[in-house]
Amino acid sequence: MKRRHFVKTGSLGSLGIGFMPGLLSFHKDNPVADVVRVNNGEPSELLDTAIKALGGFSRFINKNDIVVVKPNMGWDRAPEYAANTNPDLVAAIVRSCYLAGAREVKIFDRTCNNPRRCYLNSKIEEMAESAEGNVIQIRKNKFSTIKLKNGIDLKEWAIYDDYLEADKVINVPVAKHHSLSRVSLGTKNLMGVIGDNRGLIHNGFPVKLADIVSEILPTLTIIDAYRILTANGPSGGSLSDVKLQRSLIASSCMVTADVEALKLFSLDLDQVDHLKEMVKRGLNKFDLKNLNKKVIDLV
Amino acid sequence: MVKIRRLVQIFFILFFIFLFLKARFPYSDSLSSDLFLRFSPLVPLFDFIQNFQINMLYWPALMILFVTVFLGRFFCGWICPLGTSLDLTDRLIKSPSNKISSKFNRLRYLKFAILSATIIAAFLSINLWSYFDPLALFNRALTVVVYPLTTLLAESTILKLSEAPFLEDAAYWFYDIFKAFIMPEDQIFLQQVFWIGLLFAGILAAEKFSRRFWCRYLCPAGAWLGLLSQFRFYERIVGKSCPICNKCQVECKMNAIPDQEIARTSKVECIECFNCGALCPPKTKAITYQWRWKPYHTPFDFSRRQFLSSTAASVAAVGLLSIGIKDKNASAYLIRPPGSLPENDFLARCIRCQECVRICSTNGRCLQPSGIYNTLTELWTPVAVMRNGYCEYNCNLCGLVCPTEAILPLSPDKKKKTPIGLANFNKNLCIPFVQNKDCIVCEEHCPTPDKAIKFEIKKVNLPNGSQKSIKYPYVIRNLCIGCGICEEKCPLPGEPGIFVTTENQMRLTKKDVI
Repeated sequence: MKRRHFVKTGSLGSLGIGFMPGLLSFHKDNPVADVVRVNNGEPSELLDTAIKALGGFSRFINKNDIVVVKPNMGWDRAPEYAANTNPDLVAAIVRSCYLAGAREVKIFDRTCNNPRRCYLNSKIEEMAESAEGNVIQIRKNKFSTIKLKNGIDLKEWAIYDDYLEADKVINVPVAKHHSLSRVSLGTKNLMGVIGDNRGLIHNGFPVKLADIVSEILPTLTIIDAYRILTANGPSGGSLSDVKLQRSLIASSCMVTADVEALKLFSLDLDQVDHLKEMVKRGLNKFDLKNLNKKVIDLV
Repeated sequence: MVKIRRLVQIFFILFFIFLFLKARFPYSDSLSSDLFLRFSPLVPLFDFIQNFQINMLYWPALMILFVTVFLGRFFCGWICPLGTSLDLTDRLIKSPSNKISSKFNRLRYLKFAILSATIIAAFLSINLWSYFDPLALFNRALTVVVYPLTTLLAESTILKLSEAPFLEDAAYWFYDIFKAFIMPEDQIFLQQVFWIGLLFAGILAAEKFSRRFWCRYLCPAGAWLGLLSQFRFYERIVGKSCPICNKCQVECKMNAIPDQEIARTSKVECIECFNCGALCPPKTKAITYQWRWKPYHTPFDFSRRQFLSSTAASVAAVGLLSIGIKDKNASAYLIRPPGSLPENDFLARCIRCQECVRICSTNGRCLQPSGIYNTLTELWTPVAVMRNGYCEYNCNLCGLVCPTEAILPLSPDKKKKTPIGLANFNKNLCIPFVQNKDCIVCEEHCPTPDKAIKFEIKKVNLPNGSQKSIKYPYVIRNLCIGCGICEEKCPLPGEPGIFVTTENQMRLTKKDVI
């Protein structure tokens, strides 16, 4: 029942959020950006600035919500290698969630390397726990298969229960190069909450990924571009591929945030098949040609 | 004394299990997990036979050997965790007394035969002894059978309970504690479970025939300690008040008290459990234990004829093990852990204890107890089976826990530059080549800073006449370290599109590691 309930309210909710920019535009004195990019700062100040521009955390998190923060911590790499999300950013998000009244903040990822190694060496476990976050290991028995209503190639797939049951989801990918999908951003990051044999979606990737991800869109997407991996992604491993960008991109629409983040890599939407597929299916909440975009440079 | 002995036994078996559980990621070697395996009295003996030197790495065993000359086989009675688990089994299945089990006494020579045969095989560079080493055997059973079985039973029980609505929260609370502190690993799946389990179960079940069946008749470590304790100075003295009630004789764990001559305990067999003193009726209290500087001597039960026939058997076995065909196909998959000695030295030193397999099962999970590829002596040595796991790039733990340095301890940096094999594509299976679709899961996971798997984009003509760009992966041979993550993650069912063989493997010697 919980899952059905989630899917129902989730879709209603996202519909509501979809209309929200229109409604909010009446209040000309307090325009809320569709997508915001903040440059030249440390992770926590980047976050604070971006969220303020999006109207504050209370717009996304209600009192007593159970929130899932989904970073990318799929690799047994230290934070400097930019293969995983910045641990300070994750900790700052967890703290902000609690300040906004969240009851519990869960952090997890289905990793590529050994999960304990990834959780430890990415430093996300340590930092998120220091912010009272509940860092949980994936349990094999806690995946539920959901129907993919708009699935073209795939009709059903397993998703992690804690993700499905959460009231709100904050997707926190690190911006990095990816050999197959060109870039790994918010959309690709959601592969960390899906079950089954993930290798199987690599052929015919754009369609299959969109099939799954369209069912599990997050509340908020915060793309960590403090360090970005410019080549040899997704696993990286060489510091010479890492660029200290000191930026952050956030939006309530994952696809919009991802498309905005393409600029970090000097890419067009046309070059990134899986995002093109997402836009083709209309999964972007905002009109990409007519965005209310804010770019803030910190000093 | 008996109470103290039991406490010491419980302490040591718990210490062994503690060290065993400690062999997991994250690992700190302030207290080395392989310490207890270096207690084994056989290890320095066979190391001496192989290298003609005394290696201080085995200081715990050397200490035991030294003390044994004075105290006798106290190791068997007080320390050996296999012995303790046999004592515990006795309580379950009630072994017969010596009235019944005395008929097996003639089998005592077997342990000496096993010892001498394995010594001769070791001289001829064939390692057979480690299959009989009691500590290696116990650790092997823990790793391959006991631990995975306990995980299975405990996890499924807790999760089953969590299905009951009123127990859900309690069960998950308990599950979290269980996963955090006791068994954090997911279920471990290993090969050779049946045979290792059968051997261990057989040793435990033999208690039905006599107490300490393994220790009395088979254990070469016991035989070796028995040889050293023939003249032991700490003696069991039977006073004149003894009414010869034979209580101690009948109940002796090792049947070490001859029924004709109760005062002359067999020093070769006695494991100093002190049960006899406790069994002696309180009124008589005839048994005392004392130091004597002119000790009597107990000969051991091993005749010249038995020695000659076991020697002949050993030489024949060495021959038979050496003249088999070397199957090149199979050998190519015998991938050893990083830092392994050259194959012959490796086989000679490895004690098949599975400590590396144990710690690997908490990391990339590639190491498995090997089956027989070419010869029997490969059995239960560690082999990397990449389709089931892979060698974690940042992990160097197998070398850190190897008790005999058959796998040398490598620094993480050195380990990353030590290839254990080489990846090869099978283009008859690989998805881009066969199905005209992108995949490159292997390239994504390749962990080397300069990727050993790269890809080229080529246009391909599809059957319907259209063209498509596809990413075709290939291996850069001098970058690949054979970690096998590509093989493990290959999404194909069954045979993988990329597989690792021993080609390019780098074997190291002690000189290579500082």
